[in-house]
Amino acid sequence: METERKIEVLHGIVRKMMAGGADIQTDEWVEFVEAQNDGYRTGPPIGAKVPDFALPDQTGRSRPLHDLMGPNGLLLVFSRSADW
Amino acid sequence: MQAHGINAAAITFDSREVLSNFAAAYKIGYPLLADAGSKVIREFGIFNTNIPEDHKMMYGIPWPGDFLIAPDGTVRDKFFLRSYEHRVSASEVVLRHFDGRGANSVEIKAGAVSATVALSTGRCFPGQELGLALDLRMEPGWHVYGKPLPSQYRAVELTLESPLIDGQSLELPAPKPLLLKALNETLPVYEGGFKAYGKVGIKWSPPMPAKFLEPLGEMIKPGLYRIAGTLRFQACSDEICEAPQSVTFELPLTIEAGVPPAPKKSA
Repeated sequence: METERKIEVLHGIVRKMMAGGADIQTDEWVEFVEAQNDGYRTGPPIGAKVPDFALPDQTGRSRPLHDLMGPNGLLLVFSRSADW
Repeated sequence: MQAHGINAAAITFDSREVLSNFAAAYKIGYPLLADAGSKVIREFGIFNTNIPEDHKMMYGIPWPGDFLIAPDGTVRDKFFLRSYEHRVSASEVVLRHFDGRGANSVEIKAGAVSATVALSTGRCFPGQELGLALDLRMEPGWHVYGKPLPSQYRAVELTLESPLIDGQSLELPAPKPLLLKALNETLPVYEGGFKAYGKVGIKWSPPMPAKFLEPLGEMIKPGLYRIAGTLRFQACSDEICEAPQSVTFELPLTIEAGVPPAPKKSA
């Protein structure tokens, strides 16, 4: 998908959603989904070391990777947003 | 997952306040990590570069996916599906890596062959991908056929049939060539037994009733469904070769209702 079209669709749908979403067309929605998925990448390959990190959890406590880890591993889920 | 010693955590680019509100609304006990500024999302190389910088709502999101990270910090497996509208269930991860039995299984017995067919879970949302497992066992002296195979024989095959299913796969181990003296032919067979794992995609359903979503997929009503399946095989011993068999079975699957967005704190 062309970059300009991507930008147009990503902004356009959100504008329409804010206005109630009544005039969203199916084709536009399909483009909106495609614009996000386009050229998706999946990060470190199987067997590679993941980047070390520490992030605050919902209670504000800092959680380094080694602290999150279970005895047999960690399922780390990257989601788009918990806000929408 | 906890029973198997695996912890879970989720990362989003949301603020800690948003995640705190979300965790309270859905009674989430595992850590939700606030990657405000998307630093870690970038470091993992999954920062969604399609989103323009001036997009207030979405700039900073990742291409969503799951990593199963081993205790030594390496990627043991990862799960990224073709579209953000489809997600892997945690149960698939467990089935594949920690427990071949699965939470939702059926036993099959037909002559010298017995099998356990399992879905990784008995409950899921539309658009999820589930794990599928086949544990096939034979009495000593018996074998079943694998592929490639001349058309007069029947290779092991497992298929699920349901209008809910959108794609399925099963990776069988490689069969071993066996010289069958009575036939004077060498054919690919399985002896003793094997375990095979696969995937079952559950159809996406519009998350809310909206006219523009109707052409993309029918609403799947929440409730209990029965997934029909067939296990096909042909069992032979040194002396007897049985006719090809098709054993049908059913697995229950409950489709959960969609979850409304978490209420805003200010509301």
